[in-house]
Amino acid sequence: MKKKQNTFSKIMALITYKKTNRPQTFVLPEMDEGQNDNGQKDSGEKQANKPKPEEQPQAGEKKKRKFPRKPLSASQVKSNRTDSDEVKNNIDSNLQVMKEQFDVPKNKDLILREFTLGGNRRAFLVYLDGMADKFIINNFILRPLFNEESLDSTQSGKSANILLENIVETNDAKKLISIKKVITEILKGNTALYLDGLDYILTCESMGYDKRAVEAPKTEAIVKGPQEAFSENLRTNVSLIRRIIRNKDLVTEFFEIGEKSNTTCAVIYLQDVINPAILTEVRRRLTTIKTDFLVSAGMLEQFIEDNPLSIIPTILSTERPDRTASHIFEGRVAIIMDGTPFSLIVPVTLNAMMHSPEDASLKWQYTTGLRLIRFCAFAIATLLPAFYIALTTFHREMIPTDFLIAIAKAKENVPFPTIVEVLLMELGFELIREAGVRIPGIIGNTLGIIGALILGEAAVAANIVSPILIIVVAATGLSNFAIPNYSLAFGVRISRFYFIIAGATLGFYGLALALMAYILMLVNLKSFGIPFMSILAPKNKRSRDAIIRWPVWMQESRPDFLNPLERDRQPEISRGWSQQDPNK
Amino acid sequence: MIKEGHFGSAEAFCLMLVMLTTRVFYSSPLALIKDLGTAAWYGTLLSCAVSLIFFGLLYLLMKRFPNQDLYQVYETVTGKIISKLLILIFSFYFLYYAAINVREFTAILKAYSMPYTPVSILIFVFLLVVIAMTYVGLEGIVRVSYIFFYFIMCGLAMLLLLAIPAYDFNNLYPLFGYGLKETIKIGVLRSSAYDEIVILAIIINSIYGLKTFKRVGFYSLILAGLIISVTLACILAAFEYTAASEQLSGLFQLSRIIYYSRFFQRIEAIFLFIWVFASVITVSMAFYLAVSSYCRAFKIKNHRPLLFPFAALAFMVAFIPRNIGEVFEIHVHFLRQDSFSIMYLIPLLVLIFALILGKKGGKAIE
Amino acid sequence: MNRSSKIILIIILIFCLPLSGCYDAADVDEEVYAMAIGIDKGVDNAVRVTFQYPTYKDSPSSGGMKGGGGGQTETGEVDGTLVSTVEAPSLLEGVQMLNAAGNRQISLTHAKMLVFSEEFAREGVGKDVETVARYREARETMRVIVCKGKAQDFIMENKSLIGSNLAKGIELSFVQSQNTGYFPDVFFANFYSNMLTPYGQPYAIYAGVNDFQHLPENTQQDNQSPAPIEKDIQPGETPRKGGSKEELFGTAIFDGEKMVGSLTQNETRFFLLGIGKFKWGSFTTGDKNKPGYAYVLDVITARKPQVSAHFENGVPVIDLKVDLDADIAAIQSRIDYEKVENIKELESYTKDCFQEGMKKTIERTQKEYNCDIFHFGKKIAGNFKTIQELENYNWLKHYQEAKINVDVTVNIRRNGFFFGTRPFFSTRSGNQKEGNNQ
Repeated sequence: MKKKQNTFSKIMALITYKKTNRPQTFVLPEMDEGQNDNGQKDSGEKQANKPKPEEQPQAGEKKKRKFPRKPLSASQVKSNRTDSDEVKNNIDSNLQVMKEQFDVPKNKDLILREFTLGGNRRAFLVYLDGMADKFIINNFILRPLFNEESLDSTQSGKSANILLENIVETNDAKKLISIKKVITEILKGNTALYLDGLDYILTCESMGYDKRAVEAPKTEAIVKGPQEAFSENLRTNVSLIRRIIRNKDLVTEFFEIGEKSNTTCAVIYLQDVINPAILTEVRRRLTTIKTDFLVSAGMLEQFIEDNPLSIIPTILSTERPDRTASHIFEGRVAIIMDGTPFSLIVPVTLNAMMHSPEDASLKWQYTTGLRLIRFCAFAIATLLPAFYIALTTFHREMIPTDFLIAIAKAKENVPFPTIVEVLLMELGFELIREAGVRIPGIIGNTLGIIGALILGEAAVAANIVSPILIIVVAATGLSNFAIPNYSLAFGVRISRFYFIIAGATLGFYGLALALMAYILMLVNLKSFGIPFMSILAPKNKRSRDAIIRWPVWMQESRPDFLNPLERDRQPEISRGWSQQDPNK
Repeated sequence: MIKEGHFGSAEAFCLMLVMLTTRVFYSSPLALIKDLGTAAWYGTLLSCAVSLIFFGLLYLLMKRFPNQDLYQVYETVTGKIISKLLILIFSFYFLYYAAINVREFTAILKAYSMPYTPVSILIFVFLLVVIAMTYVGLEGIVRVSYIFFYFIMCGLAMLLLLAIPAYDFNNLYPLFGYGLKETIKIGVLRSSAYDEIVILAIIINSIYGLKTFKRVGFYSLILAGLIISVTLACILAAFEYTAASEQLSGLFQLSRIIYYSRFFQRIEAIFLFIWVFASVITVSMAFYLAVSSYCRAFKIKNHRPLLFPFAALAFMVAFIPRNIGEVFEIHVHFLRQDSFSIMYLIPLLVLIFALILGKKGGKAIE
Repeated sequence: MNRSSKIILIIILIFCLPLSGCYDAADVDEEVYAMAIGIDKGVDNAVRVTFQYPTYKDSPSSGGMKGGGGGQTETGEVDGTLVSTVEAPSLLEGVQMLNAAGNRQISLTHAKMLVFSEEFAREGVGKDVETVARYREARETMRVIVCKGKAQDFIMENKSLIGSNLAKGIELSFVQSQNTGYFPDVFFANFYSNMLTPYGQPYAIYAGVNDFQHLPENTQQDNQSPAPIEKDIQPGETPRKGGSKEELFGTAIFDGEKMVGSLTQNETRFFLLGIGKFKWGSFTTGDKNKPGYAYVLDVITARKPQVSAHFENGVPVIDLKVDLDADIAAIQSRIDYEKVENIKELESYTKDCFQEGMKKTIERTQKEYNCDIFHFGKKIAGNFKTIQELENYNWLKHYQEAKINVDVTVNIRRNGFFFGTRPFFSTRSGNQKEGNNQ
C-alpha cells in the first residue's frame, strides 16, 4: 500500500506543477521606440550609470543551478585560505608558504633560488621552469641584484623603491601583497622576488615559453583579405588585434578562470563604443564561473552561453584577428583565452553567423549574392530532406506528373519506404564526414568525396535508395558546407533530423508546425541579452549589413540592437571627394 | 501580474493584421458569399467601417483612463466583483475562440489535405505548438508573428496575383448582391468578424500606450478590411458567386486552379504553409489571452502552470461540434456574426457606465 | 529520478509521434496515377469508367511497337500505360473496384482529362461532375472532353507517339488550343462553375477518334486542284493519315448538365475570338480577285473583346466588338496587297469574313441551341440590381431573344518577310498558272 502510494505520488509529482525558481535572464535594457533615433547616446550612458536591478541579487545563480558545485577540494581550500594570503614580512614564513603552495620537494618544475644580497640580506626568487625565460632572469634580475651593494638589511624602507625602480631591469614589475596573486603570476611564467623584511613580493616579467608562430587561418580561409590567424599565445593574439585597432580606447581586461588551471582570459572591447551593460554582463558571467579546469574557448563558450539547451550557437568563435577586430568595432566584446587560437565574440545575432570574413572585402554586389546563396543553403540544409519526404509521402498531387512518375519508376525496385531511405542516406553521409575527419591528411578529403560518390552509386545500383534521393542528400550536404560557421553547421545538421521527423509524421502540416516551433525557439534565443534574431524580430532600425550588404561607405551606423554608445561609424557623406568638383 | 514585455507598433500592427485576416483562409469567404452573393466584397468593408466606429468608442473609453488597460478600466468602473466576472467572460470567450478556430482549421485541413488522420491528432499537435508559443509569452508570440507576417502576406499576395488569369471581374455583377438591405444587415452583424481589435485594448500597456493603440488599431482595421475585401473580390471573380458559395475554402480552391504550364501549377503548398502559420499565430494569441485573462481575474502571477489545463479545456471545447455543419453553422457563425455582443458591447456598456457615473482615470503611475 | 524520467517520457513521446501520425502517408510507388478518366454510359449499371495510368516498368513496351497502335487489348497495355474499364454504380466505386482487382491504389490527383462519351453527355453529366468536384482527389485543372463514340475507345488511343512521356504529351496536346483555335481549352473548374452560373452555359472540348478512313483517294483524273475552302469538319473525320488517332476538334455545348450540340472547328475559332481566348491561328480565305487562289492570314487578338449589354424595350441588346491584328502569311495570287492603297481592301474583305463568321456562330448558338456559351450574361447581369432579379429573369432562357451586334476590326500590320510582291516570271509570263507555293 505504501509502495503504491509512493508510485502514485511520484506520478503525481510528474504531472503536477512545481514552482521552479527561475533566475532572471539578462535583458539588454530597452529604450523607448521614439527615443531610438536621437536619444541613442544619452540613454546608453544613462544605462551605464544605472545599476541593474536584475543582475546583482542573482549573480551566479544560474551557473550554480546548471553545474551544481561540489565541495572544494583540499588544494582549493589551501589556496583560498585567507590567513596565508597576505605576504608576511619575514623571509622564512614566505618561503614556507611558497614551498607549501607548490609542494616544493615533490614538484620539480618550481625553481626556488635562495641567496643573500649585500652580504647579509636574505632573498629568494621563484619561477617555473620552462615557463620563464632564463636569459631574462639571469641577466636582468639576478645580475643587477648581485651587483647592487646597497641592499643590506638596514635600509628596509628605502630599498623597496630602489629595488623596484632601479635594480630590476625587467620591463614589467609589480608589487603584490597577496600570495594568491603572486602564485598566479608565477604560473604565468613570471618571476617572484622577495627580500627579507619587505611586506610584499615583487613579480618581474620573465615570460618566455615555446609558442607557435602566427600562421594562416585554417578553418576560415579566404581569398581576399589578411591571411593571419590567432595562435595559442594570448599576448600574441591581443597584439594581433591591437595592431588592427590602433586606438587608445581599446581595453584589454584579464580574468583568471579555472581554479586549478588558472587560465588567463582576455576581454577586449572598445571603451567608447561598447554598451556598458553588455560589458558588465560579460564580466559578471566570467567572474562567477567556478570550475577547476578550463582549457579551450569552446569550453568557456559552454560556461557563458545564454541557453545551453539551444541547438543553435549563440556565441561566435573565429580564428581571425581581422574579423574579431571588426566585431569589436561594431560594439561587441571579444573574449580570448590563453591557449586557444579562437576568440569568442558576444553578443551575436544569426546574421553574424552567416557572414564570411571575406564579405567586407568584396564589392557589395558580390557579397549580397553570396549571402543570399548562404541563406538559401541554410534553408536547404535544414529543410530539403524533410520537404522531400513530406512531398512524396503526403502531397504527391503537388509534384509535376512527369516528375512524379519518374520518381515512382525509380522507386519501384527499392524495398524501403522513403523515410528509411532518407535516414539511411543521411546516416551514410554523416558517417563519411565523421570518418573523413579522422582519416589522416590528404586521404581524408579524397575519401570524403570518393566515398560519397561510390556509396551513392552503389546504393542506387543495389536498389537501396532511389537516385533522386542521392541528389537530395547530396544537395543537403553541400549546402551544409556552405554555412560559414562551424558550430552553426552542426546545429543545422541536427535540426535537419527534427524536421525530417516532423515532415514524415504529418507532411507539410507537421513541417509548418515544426518550423513555427523552431522559429519560436530562435526568436527567443538571446546572446548576452540581445535577441538572436535581431535582424528580423524584434523590429529595430534596419541594418545595412545583415543580409543585403550595402556599400561600405553607406554603412553609417553600428547595429542598432547593440545599443552602442557611439552609434555612427561615419558621417552621411563619407566619401568627401564625391562632393567636390575634381576640376577645380 | 504576468510580465508581458514591450514591443513596438510595427509588431503590434503585424500581430493584429494576422489575427484579423486569418479567417480569409477559412470558411469566412464562403459564409459571406453565401449570404451576400456578389456584394460580399464591399459587405466586409461595411463590417470594417462599423468596427472602426466601435473601435473609436473603445478609444474614447481608453482615453478616459490613460495608462490603464481594458481590464483595469473594468475594475475602476464596475468594481472588483463585476470586473472579475467581465474578465472571466473574456477569458472564456478567448478560449472558445481559440478552440473553435482550431476545430475549423482542422476541419478544412482534413477535407483538403489529410483525410485519414484523426482530428484529435491534428488538434493535439497544433495545441502543442500553441502551448509552446504561449509558454514563451506575449513577446514570443508577437515576435513570431512579426517574422511570419511577411511570409503570410507575401504568400497571400502571390496566390492572388498568380490566379490573375482566372479572374473575370464581370462576375461582380449584379452589384447589389441579394439586395442592399441584406448587405447592410449582414455587414453590420459581421462587424463581429473584426472584433479581435479589442485585444489591442487588453495589451495596451505593452504597446506604449494610447497613441500607438489608436494608430495601430485604425491602420490594421482598415488594411485588414481592404485585404479581405480584395480577397473576396478575387474569389468572386474566379468562381462567380454560385460556385464560390459552395466551396469550403475559396482561397484554397483558388490555389488549386493556378495553372501556368505543365510544370508550374498546383501551388497549394504555399497555401498550406501560410495557412498553418496564420492559424497558429491567431490561436496562440487567443489562447494566451484566455490564460492571461484568467490569471488577471484571480491575480495569478505565473501563467505557465495554467497552460496544460487550459489546453485540455480547449481540446475539449474543440470537440463540442459533432460535425462540420455544426462547426460552421453554429460555432463559427457565432464567432463571426454574434460575438460583437461580447467584444464590443461589454466595453461599450462600461463606457456608458463610466459616463453616467462620471468615473475617470486619474494619472496612473508611470 | 525526476529529471531522467522526464527525459524518458519525452523520448517515448517523440517516438510515439510518428506512430500516431502517418495515417495519410503513402509512398509514391504505392499508388498509380490516373491520367485520363473516361465515363461511358453503362450497360448493366450506371456508369462505365475507364482509367489510364502509367506503369512503372523500366522500358515501356512501346519501344518495340511504336506507331503500331494496338497494344495488348487483353491487359489494356497502351504505350507504357494501362487502360482499364469497369462498370460500377458510381465513379468512385469504380475506382475501388479497380483497386481491388489491380495491386495499387488508383489516385485521381494527377488526372489530366475527364472524357465523357457524347451519348453519356447528352443524358447529363451532372451526377459524375458533382463527384469529381466534391471529391478531394481530382484536380481542378484537368480538361473536360466530350468525345464522339465511346470514351473507352478514345482513351485507348491516348498515346504519346512522339516521346515516351504521356503526361507531357497530354498537357501539350491541350496547348494546341492556343496554336490553332480549333478547340477550346476547358478546365474542369470552369466547366463546373459554368454549370452553376446564371451568366452562361458550359462548354467542353469536342473530340473524336480518327480511323484514318476520311482521307479520300483520288479517283478522278482531273488535274485541276480544288479551290481552297474552310470546310467544317467533325472531330474524328479530318482527312489525314498517320500520327495519333485521337483528335480534339470543335466545341461541345451544354445546357446545364446536358450536352445539346456542338460547334465545328471553324465556328470554334469564331467562338474563341468572341470570348477573347483566341491566341493565334492562320485563316485561309479565297482570293476574291483571283478565284482558285487564296491568301493566308496569321490572326491574333489585338485586345480583349469589348462586350456591352443593355435592354431596349425589354429586349436585350448586346454589342460585341472584336479587335484583331493580322499578319499576311501568304498571298498565293501574288497580287500586291501590302500596298497602302490595297491593304484597305484586304482588311475590309477580311473583316466581312470574320464578322459574318461570328454572326453565324452566335446565331447558331441562339437559334439552334439557345445556349449562351459566350457568357454575355455577365454583362447582362450589370443591368440587374440584385441576384434575385437576375435569377428570376433567367438570362439563359432569354438568350435566343437577344439582339447581338458584332463589330470586327481587322488591322493588317505586317507582311512576313516581304514588303511588296512580284508575280512569278515564266515563259507564259503575265498569264501564269504556277502559283501553288506555300
